[in-house]
Amino acid sequence: MSHPKTPHVVDARYMEPPEPFTKTMEMLDTLKEGEKMLLLLFREPHPLYRVLKQNGHAYEVELVADGTFEILIWP
Amino acid sequence: MQGLLSFDKAPPFAAPLRFFLTAPFFGLLAGLLIVWEGPSLLVSRWTPSTLAATHLLTIGFMLQTMLGALIQILPVVAGVNLANPLRVARWLHAGLSSGTLLLVAGFLFGQPDALASAAIILGLTLASFLVVIIPPLLRAPSSSPTIRGLKLAMLGLAGTVVLGVVLALALAWGWPLPLLALADLHAAWGLGAWGGVLLAAIAYVVVPMFQLTPGYQARLSWWFPVLIFACIGFWSVSLVFELPPLGQLAQVVASLLGLVFCVITLRLQFKRRRARADATYRYWQLGLSCTIIALFSGLTATFWPVVANSSEWPLLFGILLIAGGFVSFIVGMLYKIVPFLAWLHLQNLGQSKVPAPAMNKILSEKDMNRQMVCHVLAIALALGAVFLPEWLARLAGLAFVVANVFLIWNLAGAVSRYRQHALLIAQKLAAL
Repeated sequence: MSHPKTPHVVDARYMEPPEPFTKTMEMLDTLKEGEKMLLLLFREPHPLYRVLKQNGHAYEVELVADGTFEILIWP
Repeated sequence: MQGLLSFDKAPPFAAPLRFFLTAPFFGLLAGLLIVWEGPSLLVSRWTPSTLAATHLLTIGFMLQTMLGALIQILPVVAGVNLANPLRVARWLHAGLSSGTLLLVAGFLFGQPDALASAAIILGLTLASFLVVIIPPLLRAPSSSPTIRGLKLAMLGLAGTVVLGVVLALALAWGWPLPLLALADLHAAWGLGAWGGVLLAAIAYVVVPMFQLTPGYQARLSWWFPVLIFACIGFWSVSLVFELPPLGQLAQVVASLLGLVFCVITLRLQFKRRRARADATYRYWQLGLSCTIIALFSGLTATFWPVVANSSEWPLLFGILLIAGGFVSFIVGMLYKIVPFLAWLHLQNLGQSKVPAPAMNKILSEKDMNRQMVCHVLAIALALGAVFLPEWLARLAGLAFVVANVFLIWNLAGAVSRYRQHALLIAQKLAAL
């Protein structure tokens, strides 16, 4: 994992849609100023990206060796 | 929260559904053709009725569902949105369906005009589809192996279409071309560079998502589409410059790559977190097993010319890879996608006030499993019919007919239940 560590992690790799989406949105609501969250998935969540952009959130994506997409999101 | 499901960009249900509901009718026609023609259809891969049955499955069934599904899932797997998906779906579906029927009629009745018209209609329809889909796809950065795979698959589709159009016109107008070699190349582009690469690109997303398996290793998923494409490219070059050893090497490497992909997918499925095996899982297991046997037999044929030159091997290979492999993957995915889309659209209709019914209320597991038994029987009988055509050919055709009628029944039933629930939800909302 090359992203900076954050205690706010949604490991959605074995969740069925729409759970990864709802869990991420719930966690985003709890983040305080300056905090970041990490979403782990075996795919790129393009519908989530669209909502993040619409809501003014920023994100960074990295694909790691085991096929996990690490998506770092901040408000 | 449900309102945030980014539903605004999802294409209307009618866009993919017309493809999904039409495809089994082409499967049904293929079955009827086998019943009608009987043992003569299994004499060689080159008989007019064999070519007709093959294209009923590859264009009529496979391409219909592949393109319909692409229109639906491009926004989800690649963030690519078509400007007007329903309009694209309408003309694409019309062109594809009419072109397939004309092509099949052209093969069956030896009608040059039908063949030429089919080539023009299919060529123009698919070229227009590529013109619509390639620019937004190219604008999307290749941030995942899926997006890179999709871009290569489109190139694969273009190559398949060009070769197919040239072959049909050459057959219709008597162009002096090496038809057999070009037909092999057309099949390699269609089943490898298009079908295989598309399947892998989509599998990277849907296998972990729907079956709750681990993900595909990043390095393999980046390189698999590129390497398959390179193999088909070298194979093409070997034909143009008459370099048979290069062609053989490309075939061997492509088969090995396909085997690696299938074995890895099987391993991922064995590690799945979903305890219960569902119809999609079983269909994928069937598809992977048939593809592994097909590719293994392909390797055998490369090293053992007696096998390659027999009239049985190409038929066995085709039945295993097309009916056993691709059709199984596709039906398995339809059984996940159709109830999921119905649920998603009902969820949207309910506006977070009226919940959507569970997916198994749209399409029951029991019905899907029963249909799969018919499909397995059809493949087994078709394989047996290659060796015992007099005994089994018509039975195999009948089994294909039953499997496809059952599939139509299941999918149409799902749509009908979706409509009933949509009405109910509308009534409940009005009463609130």
